[in-house]
Amino acid sequence: MLAAAHESGAAVALLSGGTDLVPALRSGERVADAVVALRRVLELRVRGAGADSLTIGAGVTYADLVGWSLSPGLARAARVVGSVQIRNTGTVGGALGSVRPAGDLLTYLTAADAEVLTASPRGTRWRPLGQFLAEGVEADGLVTAVRLARPGGPQVHVKIGGRQAAYPAIVSCAVVVDRVRHRVACAIGGVGRLPARMGGAESFAVDEVDWTTGTIPVQAARRFGDLVVEAVAGISPVLPVGPGESADYRCHAAGVLASRALARCLHPQATRATQPATTTELATDAQPGTARPSDPTAGPGAAGRGGGS
Amino acid sequence: MRHGIGQSVRRPDGPAKVNGAFRYAGDLRVPGMLHGRTLRSPHPRARIVRIDTAAARRLPGVAAVVTAADVPGVATYGLIVADQPVFAAAEARYAGEPVAAVAAIDAATARRALAAIEVDYEPLPAGTDPTRVLDPDAPALHPTGNLYREIDIRHGGIWADGPVAVEDTYRVGMQDQAFLAPEAALVIPAADGGVDLMVATQWLHSDREQVAACLGLPEELVRLTLAGVGGAFGGREDITLQIHGALLARSAQAPIRIAYDRVESFLGHPPRPPARMWFRHTATRAGELVSVRARLVFDGGAYTSSSPAVLANAVTHAAGPYRVAHARLHGVAVRTNNPPCGAMRGFGVPQVTIGHEAQMDRLADALGLDPVELRVRNAVRPGDVLPTGQVLAGPLPARELLHLVAARPLPPPPAAGSELSLPGGLPAGADVRRVRRGIGYALGYKNLLFSEGMDDSAMARVRLDLDEDGSPRVRVHSACAEVGQGFVTVAGQIARTELGVEQVVLAPADTSVGSAGSTSASRQTWMSGGAVRGACVAVADRLLARVARAAGLPARVVEMPRHSLRIVAGEIVGAEAGLRIGLADALSHGPVEAEFTFHHRRTTALDAAGQGDPHVAFAAAAHRAVVDVDLDLGLVRVVSMALAQDCGTVLNPLALRGQVEGGTAQGLGLAVMEELVTDGGRVVNPTFHDYLLPTAADVPELDFVAVTEPQPDAPYGVKGVGETPTCTATPAIVAAIRAAVGRDLRSVPVRPRDLVDLSPSGAVGPAPSGADGPAAGGATPR
Ligand SMILES: Cc1cc2nc3c(=O)[nH]c(=O)nc-3n(C[C@H](O)[C@H](O)[C@H](O)COP(=O)(O)OP(=O)(O)OC[C@H]3O[C@@H](n4cnc5c(N)ncnc54)[C@H](O)[C@@H]3O)c2cc1C
Repeated sequence: MLAAAHESGAAVALLSGGTDLVPALRSGERVADAVVALRRVLELRVRGAGADSLTIGAGVTYADLVGWSLSPGLARAARVVGSVQIRNTGTVGGALGSVRPAGDLLTYLTAADAEVLTASPRGTRWRPLGQFLAEGVEADGLVTAVRLARPGGPQVHVKIGGRQAAYPAIVSCAVVVDRVRHRVACAIGGVGRLPARMGGAESFAVDEVDWTTGTIPVQAARRFGDLVVEAVAGISPVLPVGPGESADYRCHAAGVLASRALARCLHPQATRATQPATTTELATDAQPGTARPSDPTAGPGAAGRGGGS
Repeated sequence: MRHGIGQSVRRPDGPAKVNGAFRYAGDLRVPGMLHGRTLRSPHPRARIVRIDTAAARRLPGVAAVVTAADVPGVATYGLIVADQPVFAAAEARYAGEPVAAVAAIDAATARRALAAIEVDYEPLPAGTDPTRVLDPDAPALHPTGNLYREIDIRHGGIWADGPVAVEDTYRVGMQDQAFLAPEAALVIPAADGGVDLMVATQWLHSDREQVAACLGLPEELVRLTLAGVGGAFGGREDITLQIHGALLARSAQAPIRIAYDRVESFLGHPPRPPARMWFRHTATRAGELVSVRARLVFDGGAYTSSSPAVLANAVTHAAGPYRVAHARLHGVAVRTNNPPCGAMRGFGVPQVTIGHEAQMDRLADALGLDPVELRVRNAVRPGDVLPTGQVLAGPLPARELLHLVAARPLPPPPAAGSELSLPGGLPAGADVRRVRRGIGYALGYKNLLFSEGMDDSAMARVRLDLDEDGSPRVRVHSACAEVGQGFVTVAGQIARTELGVEQVVLAPADTSVGSAGSTSASRQTWMSGGAVRGACVAVADRLLARVARAAGLPARVVEMPRHSLRIVAGEIVGAEAGLRIGLADALSHGPVEAEFTFHHRRTTALDAAGQGDPHVAFAAAAHRAVVDVDLDLGLVRVVSMALAQDCGTVLNPLALRGQVEGGTAQGLGLAVMEELVTDGGRVVNPTFHDYLLPTAADVPELDFVAVTEPQPDAPYGVKGVGETPTCTATPAIVAAIRAAVGRDLRSVPVRPRDLVDLSPSGAVGPAPSGADGPAAGGATPR
């Protein structure tokens, strides 16, 4: 049907939750001769788990993901999207269709090395997220699913908005740790046109982690934040800043968020043992049993810029 | 009396507003109506070389296209000075200025028609820096020049300074009223050559005067009815789409619906003027204020709007509610090519309250005094002479307010476990150990009603008759614009109390009754409330006189019937005359009607030295704010707000609470997020995505205490209550943030980037320790 519409030369818009598309159509920012609603395509609304991977249909909503225990990082990213109305209607496919530079899901999926399944009259194909974002979806195609590896360790997603209430991110950060394969992945959204991976900081962290305990020294978590600030400062082109914002604040905040996110994943060990013996778990935020709500690294470091003492 | 004054009567339109049934101006439709839309200049300043509307007129479905050439009457309008063109003709002076309007069969066709209008602009260098437009070499942005008004208040004898001084410059951004229901009107051409408008406005009669002048019609032929208003806050005091809609309706000879979308709403009405303010305060070492100097620059934007009156408020309130022997308060309101600015809740006072309260905190620091103690020591009392020479009359319990608010219980400290309650909310993942708490206070006062010799009277008409079932009924007719402030309950409460009749209907507000004046300046409960009360008293007098005459009572009773007869619970009772007659019986001889016009006491203009008796009365408020700040991210959460306010007699406690909560929320918005940002004169964030408003998650519950000393010259002793809390909420929050982060804050709204150290050296080690900021502009004890 998409193909038929496409061949007819008509401008076709795919409609999932409509949270981005409907306002765009209304303001005239987008025009469409036809709208194809995907809501009733039930195949798109399933999510599933294989031995190594998780597959999420394009029609799965944020609300569907919020409580998903198999992917706590994804659940957390979904939880902090918009308001409850947006979470109830907004979808994974829509997030990949809109490609908002600070989209929460996009930042998380970037850190999680996700792959995207698209379908067109020529068949289906899997592409790494980065390639998908570079090439886009074919004019007669659509996104049908996303696939990611089953979590192999703690994952954290944090962001900053413009107010206390739900708000799209100004800066977002996802950290995904794989304790089995000894990997640390960090993505920052909201600075460049697309979320960016922090390769240098990631390899630094990999070397600093004590993989047997899954911990990292306090200083290393701070340094991680500083490396993120440096990497983010080099991103180009940068997104234009919104009113009241500044580019250097965004870089600074990215470092603070990254340092805190890493610290939450890798329960940092102070060189002088100041760690309290017991801390409460924050199961929603990371892999159960690995995250702590409070840890010394969340303090200064990149995070220490301008902080008091 | 049930539902009389003093009771928490609920709004009659409350349920409809909550369940979506209420008809706002934008919901009005009639069969056959056309859709109006406005074309706006994209340039902050440009010569208009040519406008060609031929192509737009030829489009199928387009019924009318109007430009400056089609304005039959006066080409300009304005609240104080008529300098704003209905449409820009030779020169456009701000980005967003209307250039043409079209009417078409639907909104999409209207939009296409706008695109088909050809306008050749020749951009001119725009004057967008308010501190430069008065430079000798600055070009005149308008034939009348770049100065709207200058006020220079000199107070005190031979100048003296105290030994401790603080001075600094502050900046306040442009806050928008951001009411939720955008501007809308339905305009219908009438068979008599006139025009009927149903419009959401704050002042029907002022609209009528301006619409009639521009249409070249006698005022009787321009009839306005208030349509459902969804918020105003000053933003509907100026004309926006009224004249455009009327021109289109007359040109197309068809009903026009004209309604703004969000972007157009931001561009269409004048927001609160941004301000740059320099202050210098001096005090004795014991903490007695000796002198205050202020220099204010208010950016009025491209046209006058309310700027002269806003400036008068700002300058006369610049020293705050404090006794000061010497004051030199100077201010200018200037013309720029920024959007025209005008009236918004607080009307010039919020800006200066931010300035003088920041100064009081710094003075307290310099003196080593507690900030509340310093304010208590210096707060004005009735009988004190204000910098204008006006003697402060009436109650103004400033010190009591400070004591009350400081004694409110404090919230528990920030706690781990609930991210929702930490700065940044759920997603930011604030670290509770990096969260610092701050507490701040602000005291302020605000004038009530119109100032400087204005006789802004209010008229109301009241009729007492019997309904279809033969029960007594009061009908109140007033042109008072209900914009959410609560006249719809108060008018009924007054009528019930005065006439002892429970059934009160409020006639639609329209121009078939005399002017009620503007719903602004905290004035309607006092002014239109006074008019309703006066009319009710006159109705009672007439009815009682009629009853006395019919009962054959002596002439002295007929002349002064209230002395012998009273209306009690549906009956007219005259104890000494032995008379008792049901109200329904008394009214069976016909209805009774009366009109009353209420005037407040006369004030005077300011003379050349800024001296006079400019303000009718004042009301004060004191806020205490408690905030948490994430020191690394600069994110702020307002944890608690306490307010003690000087309210006069409370007519409706529930409505009072609504006003002070709303006022506090709007002040919170200005403190931490609300700013319409311009870049070279262009508004860059005219959407609710980029112009953020506080939501329920951002505004803590308000801990509120009312002080209820009656205002002697006001009906029932009321005071206006809606504006005062807006003036003090912002500086209290800014003070609390300053206390949390230990830096002086000179720009409002305060942004996260202002609270963290972004310098490269900021990466190493913690910076400020809670001591004062840099020496530049800091406290300078001598
Ligand atoms: C008030 C508000 C708050 C928001 N807050 C956040 C937030 O906090 N964080 C955040 O990340 N986002 C936020 N958003 C953005 C939005 O909700 C998300 O981007 C959402 O995922 C879009 O999904 P949707 O299903 O509504 O997409 P739609 O609006 O239906 O579609 C979006 C785009 O994707 C295309 N599309 C839809 N489905 C497919 C498909 N299967 N294949 C290919 N293309 C497709 C559409 O044609 C369209 O171009 C917010 C939006 C609003 C209105």
